[in-house]
Amino acid sequence: MKRKIRWLLPLVAIPILGLLAFGLTRNTYVLPTPLEGMAAPGFRLETISGDSVSLADLRGRVVVLNFWASWCVPCRAEHGVLKLSQATYDPSEAVVLGVIYQDTKENALRFLRELGGDWRHMLDPSQRTAIDYGVYGVPETFFIGRDGLIGHKKVGPVTWDLVKSQVDSLMAVPYAAGEAGEDPGVSHIGAAQ
Amino acid sequence: MTTRARFAWLLALGALVVGLCAGAPVVKAQEAATGEAGNADTAAAAAESRPELLDPREAELDAQAAEVAAQLRCPVCRNQSILESNAELSREMQAVVRERLAAGESPEQVRAYFVGRYGEWILLRPTARGINLLVYVLPLLALVIGALILRGRLRKWAVSAGGGPAEAATAPGELSAENERWLQEVLREG
Repeated sequence: MKRKIRWLLPLVAIPILGLLAFGLTRNTYVLPTPLEGMAAPGFRLETISGDSVSLADLRGRVVVLNFWASWCVPCRAEHGVLKLSQATYDPSEAVVLGVIYQDTKENALRFLRELGGDWRHMLDPSQRTAIDYGVYGVPETFFIGRDGLIGHKKVGPVTWDLVKSQVDSLMAVPYAAGEAGEDPGVSHIGAAQ
Repeated sequence: MTTRARFAWLLALGALVVGLCAGAPVVKAQEAATGEAGNADTAAAAAESRPELLDPREAELDAQAAEVAAQLRCPVCRNQSILESNAELSREMQAVVRERLAAGESPEQVRAYFVGRYGEWILLRPTARGINLLVYVLPLLALVIGALILRGRLRKWAVSAGGGPAEAATAPGELSAENERWLQEVLREG
């Protein structure tokens, strides 16, 4: 009987300790996304300057799609990286797009007046586009390839190293017009604010 | 006596296992009943504030939306469903659930939409597939192993108490000849 207990104890304890070691060392804030490799959900949204942007119109270019808010502290921290991205890449090759998340147009404009960043920022009434992208907090950034497929999703502030490696690798993928990743796109313009 | 005692114990054990298995659906049914009552309450409250919701089709849609929303995890608060949560994102997600149902999607399609955007994680109850099966199988496995261990213990106990000679000889914890004699004496006297 004693002999049995001697091996039974580690048999029970080791898996439990293993599970604890695995569970407690994870970053539980960041969730795995099913969207990488999938077609980026289409959208047509109004920008803060009154134009409209459709993802489908950007087919053939790499898109850095950044969800942000003026109340979000890490967004402030990563803003410089996004400015550098926009300055580095030819807009006919790679574009930065902002989607304003749970924020007012006025606050977003104030943020941009203070920190700069004149790429297109879109309003997302009722957060339909954010939900389409499985966004659960800001900042979240999607790197979308020329073919309209999502290459990578970053939860939390981006670094220049990440942006550069993602955009460069997506630009390196050869692209022929009319390739995969077709998504009809949903217009949220005029939806209730 | 030995066989009868063993039989009685096994019967009791069997009853316990059956009782536990039978109890689970009852608890689930109770949960579902309270959940439905809750949904009905919200639907009634909504109907009171918005008379157009007295339309039975609308009320049914509300109930269906609430049922789906109760199964989806709030991405902000994590341990609440989007039905319970007051987070802005949860409220918008609830609206998306209702819109999609109203557009003719089935509850399964609506769930699939959210799983496609947020991953399996969004479901409060994991689907019984792949590694998730562990969640459902492990407790049953533990119950079976526990029952087997208990059965072994009880059998050994019954054997040493009854002192069946053939079984006692095979048991690993058998009594020494001296103890056996003493035990027999005691049993005879008592």
